[in-house]
This record gives sequence, structure tokens and C-alpha cells, in this order.
Amino acid sequence: MSSVSSMSQLTREIRESARKLLRDGQVQVVIGFERGSLPLRSRPCFVRREEDIDRLVWDGCCETNLARYLPKRKEKAAIVAKGCDSRAIVELIKENQVHRDQIVIIGVPCNGMIDGLLIEAKMGRGSIVEDEGSAEKLILKRTNSEEILDRTDFLHEHCKACTHPDPVLYDVLVGQPSAEAAKDTFSDVEAFGARDEEGRWAYLVHEVGKCIRCYACRNACPLCYCPECFVDASQPRWVGKSTELSDTMVFHLIRAFHLAGRCVACGACERACPMGVDIRKLNRKLQKDVKDLFNHEAGMSLEEASPLADFRVDDPEQPMVDP
Amino acid sequence: MDNPYIPFPMRIEEIILETEDRKIKTFILGFMREEDRERFTYVPGQFAEVSVFGTGEAPFGMASTPTRPERLEFSVSTIGVVTGALHNMERGGIVGVRGPLGNGYPLESLQGKNLLLIGGGFGFSTLRSLTNYILHEKNRKAFGNLTVVYGARKPGLLLYKEDLELWRQRTDLKLHLTVDAEADGWQGHVGLVPDVVRSVAPTAGNTVAIVCGPPIMMKFTLPVVKDLGFSDENILFSLEMQMKCGIGKCGRCNVGSKYVCSDGPVFSQSQLAGLTGETHF
Amino acid sequence: MTSMTSMTSMTSAIRANTRLLRKKRMESFLEALLQDGLVFAPVRKGEMLLFERIESARDAVLGQRNTKNSPKSALFPQTERLFAYRHHKEGLAIEAASTGDKERVLFGVHPCDARAHLLLDRVFGGSTEDPYYAEKRRKAIAISIACTHPDPSCFCLALGGGPCSQEGSDLLLLDLGDSYLVEAPSERGRLLLEDKSFEDADEESFDKAELIKRTAESSMQPAAPLWEKATDEGMEKPLDALFDDPLWNDLTESCLSCGICTYLCPTCHCFDISDEAGAVTGERIRTWDSCQFPLFTRQASGHNPRPSAKERFRQRIMHKFSHLPKNVNMTGCVGCGRCVTECPVNLDFREVLLALSKNEAT
Repeated sequence: MSSVSSMSQLTREIRESARKLLRDGQVQVVIGFERGSLPLRSRPCFVRREEDIDRLVWDGCCETNLARYLPKRKEKAAIVAKGCDSRAIVELIKENQVHRDQIVIIGVPCNGMIDGLLIEAKMGRGSIVEDEGSAEKLILKRTNSEEILDRTDFLHEHCKACTHPDPVLYDVLVGQPSAEAAKDTFSDVEAFGARDEEGRWAYLVHEVGKCIRCYACRNACPLCYCPECFVDASQPRWVGKSTELSDTMVFHLIRAFHLAGRCVACGACERACPMGVDIRKLNRKLQKDVKDLFNHEAGMSLEEASPLADFRVDDPEQPMVDP
Repeated sequence: MDNPYIPFPMRIEEIILETEDRKIKTFILGFMREEDRERFTYVPGQFAEVSVFGTGEAPFGMASTPTRPERLEFSVSTIGVVTGALHNMERGGIVGVRGPLGNGYPLESLQGKNLLLIGGGFGFSTLRSLTNYILHEKNRKAFGNLTVVYGARKPGLLLYKEDLELWRQRTDLKLHLTVDAEADGWQGHVGLVPDVVRSVAPTAGNTVAIVCGPPIMMKFTLPVVKDLGFSDENILFSLEMQMKCGIGKCGRCNVGSKYVCSDGPVFSQSQLAGLTGETHF
Repeated sequence: MTSMTSMTSMTSAIRANTRLLRKKRMESFLEALLQDGLVFAPVRKGEMLLFERIESARDAVLGQRNTKNSPKSALFPQTERLFAYRHHKEGLAIEAASTGDKERVLFGVHPCDARAHLLLDRVFGGSTEDPYYAEKRRKAIAISIACTHPDPSCFCLALGGGPCSQEGSDLLLLDLGDSYLVEAPSERGRLLLEDKSFEDADEESFDKAELIKRTAESSMQPAAPLWEKATDEGMEKPLDALFDDPLWNDLTESCLSCGICTYLCPTCHCFDISDEAGAVTGERIRTWDSCQFPLFTRQASGHNPRPSAKERFRQRIMHKFSHLPKNVNMTGCVGCGRCVTECPVNLDFREVLLALSKNEAT
């Protein structure tokens, strides 16, 4: 008997919590997931009435980072949050984009989200008509056949490497806490860094060359909430609008820097990207730098200020002003 | 075939600082090529896209009148990137012009009618063009009574002060100028444009009202002219939207199914009432 | 006797515009096309299928599901120069960019995407023609491949298209196994058919083709209607009436306001115009833009008539299902399904339409 709760068990517990919170008037909206209109898709849903509670589900397709829907929200909201989502919420609270007492966090320990592209590669696209997930298995049905897969083989890369599957901040915790996750060694960053400069540049050029400037990465990111993004500014115009490599590269570089110390590496950007750009490559490098330089990990503590929003006497770099 | 995206060059011959806050300048442009001068024929109410090469383009209503075809005039309020760059230009500088664009005021259907022109602030440009067009001796008899109501926040913010002075001295139009608050030496009306329209109470009989100004002014003028008895077909608005191509291709400036750049910018209230879209003012 | 003769001659007339292309001849056929001009086709890039320019016939990947991006970029590139300028001491020189002087073949297009070009033709045509699109289009040939196995996410039938529709194509290839049956719905296509790569089709091929077409279409049935009370009159009137319905707030709440749906859509055409400047020279370019972007309609004053995802998403629906039908007599959607499958939050506009149609005031 697995100690990991089944998906249907988690769904039941989420609905129970949500129902109670709505009924008691503690929140006006529950931000969670519902089944999508295609197989292997679950999607954000906003439940405001008790009769809609049963739309809420939990499965291996709940990959959107729902924290993205918190800034500027006027109602009190309950939000279903897996590990990475809760760390984004921590950052948003620190940056005053959401008040702690305006949200009720329904924390869900996460055992990883399914990468639809991996399934497509294995099963052929469009062949799946129905899917059912348990904690360990994926049952995929075609019109005339069924296949049972090991879900761990089909998780997003960044989910496989996740070091914080459980919510770090929550009001209600459903399910069972996960087994202790491995520590982040940044081996992916080191492996890339070990390549020669030409190889690294060629890789980045190749990835950025796929970008179509749709800004799904930015808009899916909970920490990209600026009313006017630098890429849209016209006075001055920092970045050109074309798909010239230089413009697109600058977009990704600057966005990565703007997220330094704040990015919780949830992977929402990568999952949103329609062109398969390896967006997190830059974010992961800056994440490691922030850890090395400031001994800081984003999203873990409400008390610790982000290093780039804070000053300490023992900061590794000299201050700009000579005292 | 003509390429509608290519501007022709024009030289800045004169720059008139219109307002005391220095935010509005009128640029008087001269043609640099004979073929452009010959081809550019327009009616009041149309606009052109003016380019500052290297910075961009922005749409401006024709402030000049086609009865004086040698020069084109555009009044520019410095509010953004292109307008700011224009304001930094000097006499002799070269700009690009694409146009004329838009539908303009429906001169044919206005003939034989009395006209009530209502303008606010910087939106008065095309109404100035229309007024000068009508006042031209060749055109005056084709139109009936002409009443112009024009307001700005302060006297120093009124545009075309020279024209206003000339008009004041004429007997073939009634000019009502207004400012928001009492001011030293100010002899005209005091009050917001919609209120002045209401107090002047021009007759709606055989009259077309043409309104152009900030969205909020147009919004509050509509009920006033309706109360005065103007029917929806006889109330015209000149709208503004964010524009780029100016020719109805880039998909940006629509109000409902109509593009302000190519189906407008002049619309009757009966047309607007039939459009499903975000409120335009 | 006479009726049989006339029937035979009618059939031969139809069949005169249909021939056969053996798959083993495909590569040389494509190579010949590459000699004459640009060729765009589906290519494999990693795990993805993209519609891009090819330099070798071997790069073309045929008979797969549809490409991630649409073929519109072959006629309406994402970045395109409009003109270049140069300051000199007498003034300014402006040089219009070439609008499209090369022959171009769009190869392996799916029928939905071929139909989409008919909509773009109307938008970029009209009384003021867009020369950059129009010139490329005039020199373009669409060689489409019918969809014998439509995806579950395809709904071209609901929009008046079909997996074997000829609309917008110059040649339509139907996969028979070791050969293609090739139909030529246009004059240009008929001229192409005279090429020595093609041979006459036999009776068996025609029969096989009929069966494949019927199977393809029936696999998409029943086509769920987009509007609950499906009428011949179209959706314009009911959509207009529902413009202010509060249901839009709920239906669009998850929208991220990114540009995926618009950029991958074969009929979307909105663009931006901007200048790229050096000290003495520069250029004006146009780039794809999206009505979903927050700043799309923001005015210099700061006022934005579409300040939230709700207004922007609604605009997309109204444009495609009300404005375009009114203005150019065509719906702005061909049912390719990309916006449905690629939306990061699975905001399915078909569900939006259906929900609205259930709310329709009687």
C-alpha cells in the first residue's frame, strides 16, 4: 500500500476544503484545476459557487502555476498550490503583490506533472481519447487499445529534478507529505558550464532562435507581473520588436536577470512555451549564482528578503557608493 | 501599383507654438516633390500618418484646408514617442507623410445644411480645417448657417489664435469660444463645451452637428445635442484610436466591425449606435 | 447511346484535372520546384514539425499531423522590411523593400491552412491592397496534402472546410499508399499537372481515393456545432447581442494574454509597424502583433479600451465570428485546432462559444 495518496483521494480532499471555505464565506473564490477539453489536459478554474465545487480535480496534468492569478486580485481567494506554486506565493507576499491574509493556501504535495510531449512521442499524437492517472501509473486509452505507463518516465525534466515537491507555506495540507527530496546540486548548470564557450553560445543561439516572441513564458510566470514589461516600453525602447536574434536574446537575458533571486524554477515558462525553448537554462544559472553569492534560495522564507531587494554589509560586491 | 506604406518626404517650413504650456505645435509642411503635391488632394476630416524617420509614425488630422493646397498643416501635442520627436525637430527638417487617409467629413451631404461645429482642446484641428474650407468664397454659399463652439481649459491653450481673430470679425459665422474658468481679460464664454452648447442652444432644424474633442467631451456633448433635437444621423463624431497602418490592415483601431482609420474617423451617431464594441468615449 | 457518351465526356473532363504522382517520384518533383523558386514545407526540428523554407527535397516531411506554426509566414513573414531610408545632404532617400519577386511554393499544406489564405487574401486585398502580401500571393502556389487521419482536435468541418477540401489549393494530394492522387482545382494547378512527374490515374486509384475521403470525413463526425442553435445565418447577430453578457468574465478568467493563439493561427493577421534606426540609415519594419497583448490598443494618452483579458479575448472572438463575416463575408477561423491544443491554459474558444450560445436571449 503506497503512502502516496491517490489522485482521487487528493481530489476529494481538495473539494472538501474548498467546499468548507466557500460555504463559511472565508473566501469568495477557489482557484484550482478542472479537467480540460482535451485528453491529458487540466486547466485553471475559478469556483465561486458551491454547486461548481465538483469541477475541481487533482491529477498529473495540473501543471499551471496558479500563483500567477493572485496579483491584483481583490477578492479573498483559496488557491490550490503544489510545492513550486507555494514558493512563488512566498515571493509574491514578500513583494506585496498579495497579502497573506487575503489567501487561503490549500497545499498539495506533488509527485510531478506529466510532459504531454513525451506522451505524444511515445503514443503518437492525437491518438489518446481518455486518460486516468494514479499516483504511480498512467492509464492511456486509444479508441481500440489501452496502455499503462509508469508515470515517472513521463514527467517534465524539471519535475523529475524537483527539490521541493511539498508546499512550504499553506493553511490546509491535503494528502501525505512526500518523501524527502534530494538537495539541489545544480549539476545541470555545472554540466552546461563545463562546455566550452562556443558550444554554450551555439546552444543558446539555437534555443533562442526558436522563440516567436509570444511572451507565454512571461505571462505564465507568477513573478512577471509588471504592468509594463521592459520589452514593451517605448520610452526608451529597450528591445526591438522583430525576431532578430539580438532582440530575442536580449529579451530572454534581461527577463532572466529581472527574475534573479525571485525565480522559483517552477518551470511554468517552459511548459507554456509552444516552441520548446529551453527557457530555464538561464534562470537555473542565475539561481545557482544567487545561492553561491548570497546563500539564498527564493521562495523558502517569508522573512528573508530577496538578495537583489536588500543590502547587507557583507555582500560579495562593493556598494556602488563609496562611503 | 502604389505602395500605401511608403511615405513621401516633406520639409518643415514653419513651426507655430500654439499653446502657452508649449505642448502643442503646428507644423507647416512643404512638398519636396512636384508629383506629391499634385497627387495629394484631401477633404477636411481626413488625416495623415506623419513619420519621424527612425522614430516612427503617428496619425494627425489635417489642420490645413484643401483650399490652400500648397502647404499641409498638422497640429501636434507632445504626448508620446513620435510627437516628442517631432517637437524636437526644427525648420528645414524632413518628415514623411502618408495620406490622405480616412473618410473625412461628408461634404456632399452637408451641403445646403446649417452646421454646428463643436470642438474641444486639441481635437479642434480638423474642425478648423472644415471651417476655413466652408468660409472660402468658393464654398460658403453651398452651406447654411455656421456656428462654431470651441473650448479649451484656459485662453492660452486655445489653438489657431490668428484664425480665431479673423473669424471673430466675420459675419458669416457665429463663433462661441469658451474656457473652463474665469480668466483675466477673457471676454468669451466660461464653462465646459457641452454646457456652452446647451446654453447657446442652436436650432436643430436642417442642422448637422459635428463633434471632435477629448473622449469625455464628446461623451457629454452627445446627450446635449440629442436634447436639442438632433437626430442620430445628424450628429457626426471624429474618433481617435491607437493606429499603425492607417489603411485597415493591422487590425488595431476597430470599434466593432469598423476601422477608425479606413471606415472613419468620421462616423454618425446612428452608425456608432449600431456597432458592437467597447465604448469609444 | 448519346447519354452514355456525354457522361463519359463529363467524367473525363473532371478526371482531366486529376493525375497520379508515385511517391518515389516525389523527391525529384520537389527538387524541380526548388530549382524554380522558394519552397516552403513541413520540416522536423527536434520533436517539432514546423512549416519553413527548405533547401533540399529531403527536408520535407509529409503526411504527418499539422505543423506547429501555420504556413501564413511564407506569405506574411513575422518580421518584414517595408522600406529603408538614408539621410543625405539634399534630403532623404526612401527605398521600398521588395514586395515578393520570387516564385514560391507552399508544399504539404493542410487543407485548413490553404483555406485560411482565402481569408487573408480578402483582408490584405480590397480597395487598398497590401503589396507585400499580395505580390507574394500572386507568385505563390499551394500544393496541399489532404488529411486522411484528422486529429481529434481538428474541427475544420464545423467551419465549412474539410479534411479533403480543395479550397485555396492549386494542387491537392491524396495519399493512396504508394502514390498520391493529385487533383488540380486551379488553373495554375492544371498547368503543373502537365509536368512529366505525373501520370494518368487508373479507375482503382479513383475508387480508393473516394473511400479514403469518406473515411476521413466520417472520422470527424459528428462535427459538434459551434453554436447551440446552429443557423444558416451565422453567429454575428447573436454574438453582437451577447457582447455585454457577464458570462465573458468567467469564461476568460484564465487567459494569460500571451500571443500563442494569434501567432500560430493561420488566419490571424494583426501587425505592428516600427522603425529601426542607425545614425544615417534605417528601416521601417512590420512585425506580427497580437490583439491579446495588453498594450495592443493602448493610446499615447495611456487610455486603453481593452484593459483586461476579457475585452481582448472577446475582441478575438468578435473579430473572427462577427466582424470578418460582416466585412469580407468569411469567418476568420478554419478549424485547424492550434489555438485549442497550444493554449497553455487550455482556454478552448469552442467552449466559450457554446456557453454563450446557451445564454442566448430569445
